[in-house]
Amino acid sequence: MRVPYWNIKYGFIIDLLAIPVIAIFIYGIYKHWKNIKNGKERIKIKNIPADIPKIGPIYTRPFVILGILGARLYRKLFTGIAHGFLFWGMFLLAIGTLLVFSNVILGIPVFKGFFNKFFMGFLLDLAGFLAIIGIVFFIVRRKFFPPERLTAIKERKDFLIGEGILAFILITGFLLEGTRISLTGPDPGSFIGNCISAIIGKPGLGVYKFLWWLHGLAALSFIAYIPFSPFVHIVLAPANTGLSTPLPGVKMGVVDIDIEEIEEEEEEELVLGVEKLKDFSWKRLLDFSTCLWCGRCHEVCPAALTGKELSPKRVIVTLAELVKNEKFEDSIFESIPSSVIYSCTTCAACLEACPVSINQPKAILRMRQNLLMEKSEIPEIMGRAYKSLENRGHPFFGTGFGKKDWCKGIDVPLFKKNETEYLLWIGCSIAYEERTQAIGRAMVNILKKAGISFGVLPEIRCTGDPAKQMGSEFLFTELAKENIELLNSLGVKKIITLCPHCYTSFVQYYPELGGEYEVIPHVVMIKRLIDSGAISVKQQSGKKTKITYHDPCYLGRHNRIFDEPREIISIMGELVEMKRNREFSFCCGGGGGNYWSEEEGTRINRERAREAFETGAEIITTSCPFCVLMLTDGLKGFTQEKKVFEISELVEENLIE
Amino acid sequence: MNIVVCAKVVPDYEVPASDFELVNGRAHERFTRVIGLYDENAIEVGVQLKEKHNGNLTIVSYGREDDIPVLRKAIAMGGDKMILVIGQSDDPYVIAENLKMAIEKVGDVDIVLAGRQSADMDRGVVPGILAAMLGYTFVPQVTKIESLNGEWKVTQVTEKGVREIKGKGKALFSITDDPSNVPRIPPVRRILAAKKMPVEKLEEVKPTSMAVEELSVEIPKMEIKCEFLPTEDLKETARMLLKKLKEERYL
Amino acid sequence: MKTLIVEIVDPARLGELYTVSKFFGETPDLVALGKGEVPGGFGKVYQTEEILGANIIEPLADLIKSEGYEAIIFSSSTEGNSIASPLASLLSIPILPEVIGIEEGPVIKKPLYGGKAIATYKIETTPFIITVRRNCFEKEELKGKSETVPLETKDKKLELLAEREEKVEGIPLEEAQVVVTGGRGLGSADGFKMLKELADLLNGAVGASRGAVDEGWAPPQIQVGQTGKIVAPNVYFAIGVSGASQHLAGITNAKCVVGINIDEEANIFKRAKFGIVEDYKKVVPALIEVLKEEKV
Repeated sequence: MRVPYWNIKYGFIIDLLAIPVIAIFIYGIYKHWKNIKNGKERIKIKNIPADIPKIGPIYTRPFVILGILGARLYRKLFTGIAHGFLFWGMFLLAIGTLLVFSNVILGIPVFKGFFNKFFMGFLLDLAGFLAIIGIVFFIVRRKFFPPERLTAIKERKDFLIGEGILAFILITGFLLEGTRISLTGPDPGSFIGNCISAIIGKPGLGVYKFLWWLHGLAALSFIAYIPFSPFVHIVLAPANTGLSTPLPGVKMGVVDIDIEEIEEEEEEELVLGVEKLKDFSWKRLLDFSTCLWCGRCHEVCPAALTGKELSPKRVIVTLAELVKNEKFEDSIFESIPSSVIYSCTTCAACLEACPVSINQPKAILRMRQNLLMEKSEIPEIMGRAYKSLENRGHPFFGTGFGKKDWCKGIDVPLFKKNETEYLLWIGCSIAYEERTQAIGRAMVNILKKAGISFGVLPEIRCTGDPAKQMGSEFLFTELAKENIELLNSLGVKKIITLCPHCYTSFVQYYPELGGEYEVIPHVVMIKRLIDSGAISVKQQSGKKTKITYHDPCYLGRHNRIFDEPREIISIMGELVEMKRNREFSFCCGGGGGNYWSEEEGTRINRERAREAFETGAEIITTSCPFCVLMLTDGLKGFTQEKKVFEISELVEENLIE
Repeated sequence: MNIVVCAKVVPDYEVPASDFELVNGRAHERFTRVIGLYDENAIEVGVQLKEKHNGNLTIVSYGREDDIPVLRKAIAMGGDKMILVIGQSDDPYVIAENLKMAIEKVGDVDIVLAGRQSADMDRGVVPGILAAMLGYTFVPQVTKIESLNGEWKVTQVTEKGVREIKGKGKALFSITDDPSNVPRIPPVRRILAAKKMPVEKLEEVKPTSMAVEELSVEIPKMEIKCEFLPTEDLKETARMLLKKLKEERYL
Repeated sequence: MKTLIVEIVDPARLGELYTVSKFFGETPDLVALGKGEVPGGFGKVYQTEEILGANIIEPLADLIKSEGYEAIIFSSSTEGNSIASPLASLLSIPILPEVIGIEEGPVIKKPLYGGKAIATYKIETTPFIITVRRNCFEKEELKGKSETVPLETKDKKLELLAEREEKVEGIPLEEAQVVVTGGRGLGSADGFKMLKELADLLNGAVGASRGAVDEGWAPPQIQVGQTGKIVAPNVYFAIGVSGASQHLAGITNAKCVVGINIDEEANIFKRAKFGIVEDYKKVVPALIEVLKEEKV
């Protein structure tokens, strides 16, 4: 039977040393906490459903699934498995050590019988073995074959130190076990220890004692080292995921700057966006401290993949270093140029990819807010769109179309108070761009065919989304409040949107400003109409047309609507998926105000158009007018044929009379 | 240094021709009201001058009281004060006389700036008339101004290139656009400050208008019908095209 | 009416103003600005080396008063714009700028709202001043040479330090009265050489659509469209240009669009006044040949 501290005089010193080690550990965590505390209060997001399970401030589901189980890691299978081996291996070994303590201090009989054989013997050996596999994977990969995402921008080389210590602990642990077993006889269940013992023969007691102290001190020093190393993610990662608001999208919240009521003193304190580190909320600072520089965000970022200077990894890593060096008063823009910040299309692929729930787009947008609202810095063409939005209520400067041109030739009912059921919200892109006017007309015809009671506003209005994306919360709130006042005065209850950007504004931001409506994206409405039999779409039989679907970022990732368009497509043809689809969809490049920009490097829309084209599908479809415009433009590099159609156009064409 | 910029609020100049409508010879009231395009360039030049010389910038306008919210954008760009003379005349002499009155209220003004042409009347004569009324030297189509101790150097854009012109004393410049005077987007703080700034309102004076009668204002017919030319004999087609272009005075 | 033209020594501009003066009956007198030989056809001709407006206004005002001129004509040019309006104020007389048409009366037409409307005015007294838009009237051919009398100018308010002509590979796009734009339909960078030849023959500038710039066939400085230059020429040749709305946004105020495209469904034909559905490689050489013939 195994005897803890067998033949180790003064073994209890290890126990005593645990106290200062734990103190150092706590101090290390405290230092992080102190840094993070420099941030501001979080903006309260009011429309979080009340029934999401919570313990205090921690949301339990993401805490367990993302934080503890590390579910997202498994998207890269080998990394996930290796990490699982390492983490759960160490976890079990830690429990094992605690049980040893409990045996020493409280006399709990863990070294007896089946429990000893199965848990203390077999399972812990297995745990250690798998942990070694894990750590060797990580060390060898990082040192000799690092994937690009790890080395891009900057590499977190100090991982190797901690990994080295861990490997050392594990190896000395097994050597120690083997030595002990050689000296005391085979241990039931400890299949590896027994093996090692057979290999090393019979070393002297001195070797055993040396290894014992070596292993113990190494383990203790590792524990003390954790908060000062990347391994602090053991604590920070579950905390960060548990504290993240469990809503889809970027969760910008709303900044209500009420001009009439703002006081002199308030105006002085008002910080628009983020200039210095301390202007971020503490949650963002926690985000930066948690970041492991894994680069999964970098390898999905459309800007980074097309040669721009922007990479979410670059932004977060830079900010993380600023936090670590406690540079809370320096201007961030000295380290991150504004061109980088404006390349972001807010597609949120980075947010989706991050295993530890960092909200990169929110950090970038907060910086953008400062650039635009405080410094009036904005790229030229985006600036023109912004000024147009400010002056004439829509960003499409230079449009050759008036407000009624989109519906020339068709009869569109007006929304009447107390009579009409649905408001069909015609957004700016439907009204002022020729290609997308067809979407508006198609939807009008579909709704008429279905006999739905709907109407439009007499004036084209913008929800304000472009302002929010470009960084002006001020203009967004102004436009939103005007819209809400109008909609409420008309008694609007249900809104059908044609554009996912409009949809996001209504659903994620308007409720906090007093605009609560039932909002349905047009693609979902079409599905409902088909399901209820209000309209019928020709079902293809025999050889089906191949149709591929591009998930718009603002419908898919930001609002988790993936299925309805696919179901509609499957009626009309054969759905062919692109490699990057659903929540992993690749942005068309039009978001973040970048519809109005001159891009460097390869155009993002061309990259996505190529992906769509290479599926060989006859039709490329999507459910966002900006995506239609960007993909149509991008496709020109590959074919002169018109292949890009919006879902409503396809449905209208295939309606059965 | 005391600087005045004259700004005019006009109907949106980006309304496309296909959507344009007239009521009683003037643009329909439904079009968004904006500050004239060149006026914004003038304000930008004024703000740059004010910042360089630690001066004072007043925005002066002749127009409607309803347009004050639009004019606040001019203040947000960098104006210290705003004077609005309330009136609706289109006559350039009337407008100039009223602007002069407002400028005299400001006091000892060194430089007056204006956009080179308004976006509604397409004339560009008010600045010159105003300059003569004030007795100030007039230079149109200016993009950049350098000033030192009452002497100044301006860059003027001509049909063929640029001129550097030197002068001294009180002057009025009409401003045209240039990469150096792209109107700035005012920071939110300035927008908030501008919303609270009081606007001095003056009653207009009514001097005699020009002896000119406006007979009509019409929208020319928009020919959207494309005339497709035959393609059998391309040289003949080329001749036909050039002839038509000359006949209709395009070439 | 006793007419006075004030203009720089440029036969084209003088020719146009001469045509305008015919509406007023009498042979016009001329104040010629700047150096150079003044063509014939005028009555009394004064000349001054001054071209900066502020330096000439007072002597001009004196001249007009003493000689009793009734119609004073300028072009809507830098010189015209510098002189006409302060001069009008000094004399307290009506001024109508940017004239594009004249009839009996005198009744004149001028644009409003960026050219979206045309206003017609009747001038009720003399003397009056008009400034005339370029390229709206025939250029009278002026033969011979005029004897000139110097116009005395007194104190100079302005001094010309330097004058630079900007030759940006031809006429700057935004000033050009004729623009020849190539799009993706050109198929290659070589197409632009052909367009340059055409543009040169028409005294125009070459533009490019975004498609052509993307392909690397033209520099972004000559891109016409929403994210490029906004142009308003008299004639806009859109060659191999599909006519996407961002491109059309750059030419909302182009007076006459000529579309040359092999695709008859191309959107450009919705905006064009004249269309030729044919490969540009056949059409443009024909145009060039005809233009060369006419020059001879």
